[in-house]
Amino acid sequence: MKKRMLGVIDATTYHEDLEELTVHRSLAAVPFAGRYRLIDFVLSNMVNSDIESVAIFPKYQYRSLMDHLGSGKNWDLNRKRDGLFFFPSPLLDSPSIGIGSFNHFAANLDYFYRSKQEYALISNCFTVFNMDFRPVLDRHIMTGCDITVVRQDGRSLEMYLVKTSLLISLIENRNETGYTCMSDVVTDIHHSYTICNYEYTGLAVMIDSIENYFAASMGLLEPEAWKNIFLRSQPIFTKVKDEPPTRYVKGASAKNSMIANGCMIEGTVENSIISRGVKIGKGSVVKNCIIMQKTHIGENCVLDSVILDKDVKVESGARIEGRHEMPLVIRKGTVQGALMNS
Amino acid sequence: MGKKKCVAMLLAGGKGSRLSSLTKSLAKPAVPFGGKYRIIDFTLSNCTNSGIDTVGVLTQYQPLVLNSYIGIGSAWDLDRKNGGVTVLPPYSESSEVKWYTGTASAIYQNLNFLKQYDPEYVLILSGDHIYKMNYELMLNYHIEKGAEATISVIKVPWQEASRFGIMNTDEEMRVAEFEEKPAYPKNNLASMGIYIFNWSVLKEYLEMDDRNPESSHDFGKDIIPLMLDENKKLFAYPFNGYWKDVGTVKSLWEANMDLLDDECELNLFDHDWRIYSVNPNHPPQYISTQAEVAESLINEGCTIEGEVEKSVLFQGVLVGKNTVIRESVIMPDAVIGENVYIEKAIVPSGLNIPDGVVISASEEDDEIILITPEMIQGICS
Repeated sequence: MKKRMLGVIDATTYHEDLEELTVHRSLAAVPFAGRYRLIDFVLSNMVNSDIESVAIFPKYQYRSLMDHLGSGKNWDLNRKRDGLFFFPSPLLDSPSIGIGSFNHFAANLDYFYRSKQEYALISNCFTVFNMDFRPVLDRHIMTGCDITVVRQDGRSLEMYLVKTSLLISLIENRNETGYTCMSDVVTDIHHSYTICNYEYTGLAVMIDSIENYFAASMGLLEPEAWKNIFLRSQPIFTKVKDEPPTRYVKGASAKNSMIANGCMIEGTVENSIISRGVKIGKGSVVKNCIIMQKTHIGENCVLDSVILDKDVKVESGARIEGRHEMPLVIRKGTVQGALMNS
Repeated sequence: MGKKKCVAMLLAGGKGSRLSSLTKSLAKPAVPFGGKYRIIDFTLSNCTNSGIDTVGVLTQYQPLVLNSYIGIGSAWDLDRKNGGVTVLPPYSESSEVKWYTGTASAIYQNLNFLKQYDPEYVLILSGDHIYKMNYELMLNYHIEKGAEATISVIKVPWQEASRFGIMNTDEEMRVAEFEEKPAYPKNNLASMGIYIFNWSVLKEYLEMDDRNPESSHDFGKDIIPLMLDENKKLFAYPFNGYWKDVGTVKSLWEANMDLLDDECELNLFDHDWRIYSVNPNHPPQYISTQAEVAESLINEGCTIEGEVEKSVLFQGVLVGKNTVIRESVIMPDAVIGENVYIEKAIVPSGLNIPDGVVISASEEDDEIILITPEMIQGICS
């Protein structure tokens, strides 16, 4: 049953509403849930669904994405045959369109020609979910559809299953047909392809704005939600860091929070998501926050409804508060002084 | 194989009998430590951090867990084209099976492994100890002193000195005498079981030792005394810092508790000397609304709904509601139910502790309880 599907991840998407978090990185590399990047979810799902060849098509600021993926070893994709392929777009000026841009794929058609897998699963890079794609393939074959669209409550999750041969012909004939991407094909009613839908009932959140990034993160603090995403039988893989376990010192307190490794907690943490290597100083109170990797918070700070990007330094005594419905985002690598109250 | 300046030989075949049921099915170097590690991670990380990229790991007792843990050494960056980590189990020859009968015989039977790399120096290590040490500094010392063998030593409290192998040295740190567990120690410099030998000297003495039917084939008991008798240049290398032989349940517990102490010299958060380990893929730890955590070290994949105080929790541990865990070490994937009370105990990997169980040492007794499946069965039946 193995080696039947190719994984194709479109990582060219740019959401203007997420600009604060994507100045330095591609959307696929946006940190999530304390130790992951958005791409980890779809990539791990593919690996857990027996997909052994994955092509990633990135654009814009892909340094952090490449650094994260490396040889693909953490996803068991450093293989002699197949494995992980990285195809940065040569078309930097082309406008961003829907998921599965045929122009981008066309620049690397050889990958599709050479692959022996009969089917291809094309996906976006920004959905948080834990899904087995094998039942989608089974249904696709059973119903004899040309294109299967994964949907939730009727809404497209922008994941498409097609025969690799059909994908190749869609790419080759893009100028004649006028279809620029998969969603063009699916939404057009004037062709003869049979389009089927696959309804996904598990948790799936497409991250496309700061508000829903924040809401999805906070939603993970509900045990029902994280149990849906983090399954032992289908783990979400990510780049391994050799951080020690997190240490809570005397006087520290944590409630309703997800905390990654390598943190030093001396203050109080509530309803928050804390990434690897974060320090929270004595007397500081962190509530309803997302704190990214290696950010250091001094002593006696008060933070509420704030997203602190990586490597931020918050000086002792600082008070930073956002609103729950619209959190404040502090950019990567900045210093927040006690007198710079925002 | 390319020539190497220094090759490390890591003795990892020990049973660690005093660790009781913890080493029933795994060798002592594979015993979990510090919320995330196995004991051998410290020595392997020291090697890679010291620039030693060729390590032979000698296994014998219950090697399965250790073998699969070490793999090809990629966790410690020791998956190398030339060198890297090689697991060396005992093997049979045409006439007989040769078990490793002592530390020296283990190395002797792998002289062919060393010959491949034609090293100048051989570093002999033990996989039983928790410490961070730069072996490169020790090698530089060995070269500067013009030594034929250098033994790393640490000052131990005088009252404990008679438990160790003690080195009596002159002012230049040249070893004049070695006493194994002396009743009346003249010195408190204890051997740490870490040796650097000039390869030619090591080969000569191991071959000599193998021919001696009286020998117990042990570095401390046979090789070092013989070299001293023959007036070889042996130096002691003084080490300052945290070093612990976690040979007993109590010392294993103590070493874990040391990590919760602000004054502890063993800093796991030092990015310049990381301790590497095989990282299982677990989500971040989840601390629930009812939970309380203080003065603890907690790894990824834990779900805490109860109270955890002064404890070390490994990956994947579940702590149920209204449960209290104090001054304890909870090894990977243990499941602690609701309304449980555990104090001063070690819970081994994967053990399931049902709701309502109470385990704590009596007030006057300062022993640490190593919880076993039989004990739980006894309580619940």
